[in-house]
Amino acid sequence: MSELDKVRREMAAVLQQPGVRPDPSLRITRRTFVHKSCLVGAATVAETFAWWPLINTLDIAHAAEAPFKFAWISDTHLYPKSLNTRFVEKTMRAAKEVQAMSPPADFLIFGGDLAQLGKVEELELGVEILKEVNIRKVFIPGEHDWYLDMGKKWGELFGKPNWTFDHKGVRFVGLDTVSRGPDYWTAKKMSPEERMGHMATLDGTVAGPWAGVGSDQLDWLQKTLANWDRNRPVVIFSHNPLYEYYPPWNFWVRDWREVNEVLKPYTKVTNIHGHTHQVLYNEIGTMRSIGMLATSWPWPYAPEGVPKLTKPMIRVDPGDHFDGVGWAKIDVSAEDKVDAEYVMWRKQVYAQSPDDYAKSIPEVLRPRVADSMWPY
Amino acid sequence: MTAPITSRFILFRAAPAVALAVLVGPAGAHKDPVTPKLLNAYQEVFMEQVRKGDLLFHGDAATEEAMGVVLSKTGMACAMCHPMTADTHPATFPKFQAQMAKFATLRDMINWCIEKPNQGEKIADDSEAMKALEAYIYWSQSGSVLNPGKF
Repeated sequence: MSELDKVRREMAAVLQQPGVRPDPSLRITRRTFVHKSCLVGAATVAETFAWWPLINTLDIAHAAEAPFKFAWISDTHLYPKSLNTRFVEKTMRAAKEVQAMSPPADFLIFGGDLAQLGKVEELELGVEILKEVNIRKVFIPGEHDWYLDMGKKWGELFGKPNWTFDHKGVRFVGLDTVSRGPDYWTAKKMSPEERMGHMATLDGTVAGPWAGVGSDQLDWLQKTLANWDRNRPVVIFSHNPLYEYYPPWNFWVRDWREVNEVLKPYTKVTNIHGHTHQVLYNEIGTMRSIGMLATSWPWPYAPEGVPKLTKPMIRVDPGDHFDGVGWAKIDVSAEDKVDAEYVMWRKQVYAQSPDDYAKSIPEVLRPRVADSMWPY
Repeated sequence: MTAPITSRFILFRAAPAVALAVLVGPAGAHKDPVTPKLLNAYQEVFMEQVRKGDLLFHGDAATEEAMGVVLSKTGMACAMCHPMTADTHPATFPKFQAQMAKFATLRDMINWCIEKPNQGEKIADDSEAMKALEAYIYWSQSGSVLNPGKF
């Protein structure tokens, strides 16, 4: 059994115990239940394609004091304007559309990877473009923002990477899942650019398992939640998913076990994350997890570990740089419901047939070799 | 007209030659017997191509310069949309490729990606860079099932 299989089995044993689910009041929609009942008997991939709703609807009971919306943008991966205008164009489009929301969103959460290579001019370009949005803005960092200067510029622009606030009956928490990567650069005497380069390579083997919450931040999270009613809703924003999906691409946090320990007592936890650039949905213990689209480019699903509850997004047309990307709006209604809606710019979001879905032919992939053979 | 080779021919006329070959070994064969050393040498040649292809696929500027190619002018590299070559589906080529609206090989697709999403400069079909990219992509997916023509 591979190392990955062992971890995955352990996760299933620890987190997916019989009877442990997100609080029933957090359920998605009736349509989702139809889908899930199908899953139980689903023998083939094809059968799981037909039922998922276009909108993931979460009920956050006892939550809303008044209806509100908020918006999510992430993974803009801006290069300097002179190098890549497409990413700029798409970030501007997302910003304009968020600003045009009617009624307006209460706030915008930017979920990390504003810059591609952490450069001052890339981060400043992002700030400039997001000036279009004049509602409240909160930011968490992505690894692309961080590893050139170890978060210096990002901190100057956006302040602390982790924070919390209460808004209309919901406790919001922003986590920093990127800054605690193991030191792979000092011993190899890498320049900041080299360090950033390895971090920016999703399938690289040098940067290692950099995604994590860290024990200090977990202590902080525990204290932050200590005075919160365990039956009231908590929404946690993080760049990486808070469960283990595919560690070779850091589609996880390495300390997911400890994160689960801290969150276990709270029955209505929703994690909204970026980094994976794809439609994702999962339930882990009492936590519900939703993956958001990038504005820059979509990533294919990992060769294994895609949560069973995820209905895959449609196979992307590489000839259209507006396909497979976009942003999201999250709508808290008067009935205490929260809808997370993917705003994908090509309107079709989910695969309608197995043929639409890239993984309908399983690919058997190997990790790259050159970065471990090269004399770094 | 040559006589058909029959079992009778093998038995009576070729028998001495067969016996000699068995006794002295394959002296007249056109290659030496394969040894582990030889296999390693072949493998090294292959892996060197894989390594170069890996670097090109991941946008390594030094390798691009050394091989005289410009695979991207947007900062994008192949691996940004295809980590570990995911979603390249080399095993499905050749096939009708919708983006090009023509019957295409993997090499056609590589060039399409270089020219369209990456906005780089097309490379020759038989160039070193093309062979290296192809080597890396096939190597990465060597467990995948051959399925030419599949969408």
